[in-house]
Amino acid sequence: MKQVVVHPERCVGCRQCMLACATAHSQSQRLTSAVLETPRPKPRVHVGVGRLEEGFPNRCRHCDPAPCMLACLPGAIYRDTATQTVLIDADRCINCASCAMVCPFGVLRYHADRLAPAGKTVAVKCDNCIARQIQGLVPACVEACRTGALTFETLDQAMKRKTDAVSRSMSTTAVEAEAPAGVSLLHQIKKVQARLRT
Amino acid sequence: MHHVIIGNGIAGVSAAEAIRRIDPHSAITMIGDETEIPYCRPMISMVLEGALGPERLPIRGRDFYASLKISPLLGERVTALDTDARQVTIGEGRTISYDRLLIASGADPRPIKAEGCDLENIFFLRNQAQVRRMQAVLPDAREALVLGGGLVGFKAAYGLLRRGLKVTLVIRSGYPLSMQADETAGAMVLAELCRQGLDVRVGVEAIGFEGGTAVRRAHLSDGTQLACDLVVVGKGVLPAHSFVNRSQITVDLGIVVDAHMRTGAAHVFAAGDVAEAVDLARQTRWVNAIWPEAVAQGRLAGQNMAGRSVAGTGSLGRNVIRIFDLDIMTGGIVSPEQEKGYEILQCHDPRSHTYRKMVFQCDRLVGVVMVNRIEQGGVLLSMIQGRIPVAIDKEKMLSPGFNYAQLLP
Repeated sequence: MKQVVVHPERCVGCRQCMLACATAHSQSQRLTSAVLETPRPKPRVHVGVGRLEEGFPNRCRHCDPAPCMLACLPGAIYRDTATQTVLIDADRCINCASCAMVCPFGVLRYHADRLAPAGKTVAVKCDNCIARQIQGLVPACVEACRTGALTFETLDQAMKRKTDAVSRSMSTTAVEAEAPAGVSLLHQIKKVQARLRT
Repeated sequence: MHHVIIGNGIAGVSAAEAIRRIDPHSAITMIGDETEIPYCRPMISMVLEGALGPERLPIRGRDFYASLKISPLLGERVTALDTDARQVTIGEGRTISYDRLLIASGADPRPIKAEGCDLENIFFLRNQAQVRRMQAVLPDAREALVLGGGLVGFKAAYGLLRRGLKVTLVIRSGYPLSMQADETAGAMVLAELCRQGLDVRVGVEAIGFEGGTAVRRAHLSDGTQLACDLVVVGKGVLPAHSFVNRSQITVDLGIVVDAHMRTGAAHVFAAGDVAEAVDLARQTRWVNAIWPEAVAQGRLAGQNMAGRSVAGTGSLGRNVIRIFDLDIMTGGIVSPEQEKGYEILQCHDPRSHTYRKMVFQCDRLVGVVMVNRIEQGGVLLSMIQGRIPVAIDKEKMLSPGFNYAQLLP
């Protein structure tokens, strides 16, 4: 099973994934018309600013067991076993924020949503773009990511790439860095800037 | 193997499910005081409020007992437990033998000491049946009195206010939610309640009620009298363990359990509102009678009863409340005693109605109070639960921009 894998060392904080996510969950599926929709489509992936002002694409990990699922009062949070996706039934959600209280990653947001009853504030988070996956598309955040910080692959595959990268870096002919050269340079500069500020 | 579970609240239900996942064949008997299919207790105030119908309360299907092959004994309370003979007594004397026993009997509302408590229309808000009885008298009720500024009192007052009643909330301490929040957050909540038309009396309690058959008037400790035709008593709960023989099982406020949810007696476990496990923030035994702990403890007890040795890390008191325009999330030690060497950081912005307070003990976060902008609260509470040393500038955790990324190396 393929899933979204996050490679934080590659994130430059461009927030293209957020835009793509909001668009993918809009009525019109187009950025230009999505911004006119009510309720305004909102992202389910959140690029947080780290200590060195580097980006971090924070999205639901679809934990197993999922703390939000266990804490949900009305039993609105469930797991789609085919894609191992933790989903929220907007009809059952009572907007109590019990899920935010137990989420170790802080990925839940509360607002009106196109897929919820009109005017109702509900808990919203990443749904692994199940609707896109059914159409054979990869999740929107992955499609939008320009630096490879978000990939859609099996965990085995991701692990192998990582292992290969480590072994290459150990060899005497090591040339390839873990992150693309530009991204590493950007992070180096941000680190220096942060040190200069303090 | 015969598993007997006392209580069909969420701790008992979670335990039964955990046992079944591991052991499909053993017999399970559940003894429950309430006859409804398992439902969400924290949501009953929403039925009182009229926001939800009672049909929204069940959290499992009608076939819950049948599908898990559980023998239910509903409408029964356990009256005695003999751990030497390994049997429980229900009602007038029927005994049931067990191989593994879970005490998940929950808690009962703390009664009040006041004259005239037996008058009609004085209610507790603890179960569905009580809500039904309150709903029956709502059409004729005009002036409600709610005793207790804790979560239940709060939810009752909110619900009755939304029903259009004139509501007076009487709180013995100086501000509402004194068990969950600190003084600053309490004052913000108080101001919001008053702004919404609630009459709040702090520092007083009800000492007596009068009326013919139903309550008509209440007397408060400061000498004032209040007209009322509906009273809700929300003075907290007490663990329901009157059937436990204290020479066989260690009982403090709750039934003392170890990391495996085992009590002092062989093959007897306890979980949920009746159990007293180690509190992760306080590092001492504590009853944390909250829904997510009942789920976690029930699961843990069930796994251990089914023969899998699983240890928990402890419990953490935490709550989230949305009330009118305020969101409040709290957890751990929120009002520490000054001399104990806690470090407190706080940030209050009255203009944006946000407040954050963090309590540290050396490099560990042990308490959090948040008013509004609560989305990242789970990250902070998880740090308390995991007893994770804080490696970053503590001030940064107060900032509205704090997020998970800042904890990364």
